[in-house]
Amino acid sequence: MNTIGMKSLLAKEVRRFMRVPGQTVLSPLISTSLYFLVFGYSLAGRVHEVEGVPYLQFIVPGLVFMGLANNAFLNSSSSLFITKIQGTVVDLLVAPLGPLELMAGFIGGAMVRGLMVGGLTWAVATLFTGFRLEHAPAALLFLLLSSYTFSVLGILAAVWAEKFEQINFFPTFVMLPLTFLGGIFYSVRELPSPWNHISLFNPMVYMVEGLRYGMLGQSGFSPLLGAGILVGVALLATGVAWAALRSGYKLKA
Amino acid sequence: MSSTPALELRGLTKNYGGKLTALTDVNLTIRPGEIFALLGPNGAGKTTLIGSVCGLVKKTSGKILVFGHDLDEDPVRPRYEVGLVPQEINFDPFFSVAESLYIQQGYYGQKRDEARVMEVLTALNLRNKADSLTRALSGGMKRRLLIAKALVHKPRLVFLDEPTAGVDVELRRDLWNYVRKLAAEGTTIVLTTHYLEEAEELADRVGVINEGKLLLVEEKKALLRRLGEKRLIVTFTAPLSTPLPESVLKAGATLSEDGRTVTYPEREGRAPGGDILRALYTEGLPVGDVETRHSRLEDILIDILRGKPAAAAGAA
Ligand SMILES: Nc1ncnc2c1ncn2[C@@H]1O[C@H](COP(=O)(O)OP(=O)(O)OP(=O)(O)O)[C@@H](O)[C@H]1O
Ligand SMILES: [Mg+2]
Repeated sequence: MNTIGMKSLLAKEVRRFMRVPGQTVLSPLISTSLYFLVFGYSLAGRVHEVEGVPYLQFIVPGLVFMGLANNAFLNSSSSLFITKIQGTVVDLLVAPLGPLELMAGFIGGAMVRGLMVGGLTWAVATLFTGFRLEHAPAALLFLLLSSYTFSVLGILAAVWAEKFEQINFFPTFVMLPLTFLGGIFYSVRELPSPWNHISLFNPMVYMVEGLRYGMLGQSGFSPLLGAGILVGVALLATGVAWAALRSGYKLKA
Repeated sequence: MSSTPALELRGLTKNYGGKLTALTDVNLTIRPGEIFALLGPNGAGKTTLIGSVCGLVKKTSGKILVFGHDLDEDPVRPRYEVGLVPQEINFDPFFSVAESLYIQQGYYGQKRDEARVMEVLTALNLRNKADSLTRALSGGMKRRLLIAKALVHKPRLVFLDEPTAGVDVELRRDLWNYVRKLAAEGTTIVLTTHYLEEAEELADRVGVINEGKLLLVEEKKALLRRLGEKRLIVTFTAPLSTPLPESVLKAGATLSEDGRTVTYPEREGRAPGGDILRALYTEGLPVGDVETRHSRLEDILIDILRGKPAAAAGAA
């Protein structure tokens, strides 16, 4: 195990996004504040409570999740993809960095960014709704699981993509719809049939609901079941990414 | 010095997409501490060969041993010992020259070592650019940074894939001296180049590859001796009206069509050029200018690639 190599990659990844704080930190903060103002206030006028929680509070876990997931994914996918495009991936492939070191470096960097933006979003939300953290360990678990999973998915997207438009395929056609259908702004359980059942196949629902349980202390879903499903998803993604990096799929000629 | 080869290729074959065979059954042993020049035209397979060793190309079949370690058994560990200067320039615009080297040290499991980074930058004449962002470097400087990146972790086996493309003449000389110094310290060097002068200056041994096949591997000196010629060229002050003397013709000299120049390829086992010259004087021919020319690696390479029988006979 090349521990120093892994740490160097991780440190480089973190420094990379810290170099452009406007893009990596500020812009997600502005967008979440806008979500708050637009969705929160416009809907809060009509929807006072969801599942017994004031509406503004109800959407906080989902907004935190959205900042976290988007940024974790964006960081690992864009970083690895740019490395591919500018040719510096050669440095990584030639160096004594195996698939585990590479994954640890990219996932670590992406999780740091995801958690940072998620945390900042939460801090901003606190200004609007006050601070609530009912089950800290559960909240932490779902924050880590979500950021981890999206970091790995980012690696997969970057390995697979050959063109810039392909790197946007997953966030636009998969992540965005699943996020909006993931119960951020409404309760999935209160959807009319069959949408409430179909939604159960959306892994984002478990991330949002898990976080909701951790932060607000209640959720329509069993957090244990959610965590189980998410661990399964994370393991599957990890296995695929490991196999892809080990075989050199689309990275080696 | 250990006798384990720095690199051993056994039957190395690479097929791109199952169609184009870029390397066919390449067998090659690189000795520790030598400078080996791999020569061949565009598309011959040089970069593919290097990429296969360095983890950039997935070989189709064959074995690769780096300092005796089979890459199939452990593809990662042997790479601590290897450095690569890739043919294509790449750089990370986010980082400065020095930072790029610190990152590189880290990748190779080494602690940040400022003294070493400055040493390499000085050797490559980049010291005053240490804090510049890499995107602000000129093309030749970027290539020198690539070389610095490949060397900063003190690899024992270094691949230089056209290291001096786009580097100015003076720096090319500096670089040659640096490469010689590395080799003298025991570093094994495999280089490709299209500047044959470079191979001639640096290499201990030369390999010629074409269309994926290694045609020849030979000591540079032996190759120059075996296939190279010294030619004696005599120019007359006026065209000859008579044929050359019998003895001169027999020795293998030829007269040009305009009757003005005699060319005599001096090879091992033939009469020395002095004998020919003496014969010309004795006959009272109007000798004007006398010149000897040594053929260079360049001429030899062309012969080999054209498949001249004498050249091919030396195939290893
Ligand atoms: N990634 C790739 N996919 C498909 N074919 C490739 C790839 N890389 C190289 N080739 C082909 O393999 C052959 C050998 O290429 P290679 O780059 O090894 O040549 P080279 O000897 O390094 O040439 P040059 O002197 O131009 O650098 C060429 O026919 C090339 O088109
Ligand atoms: Mg090449």
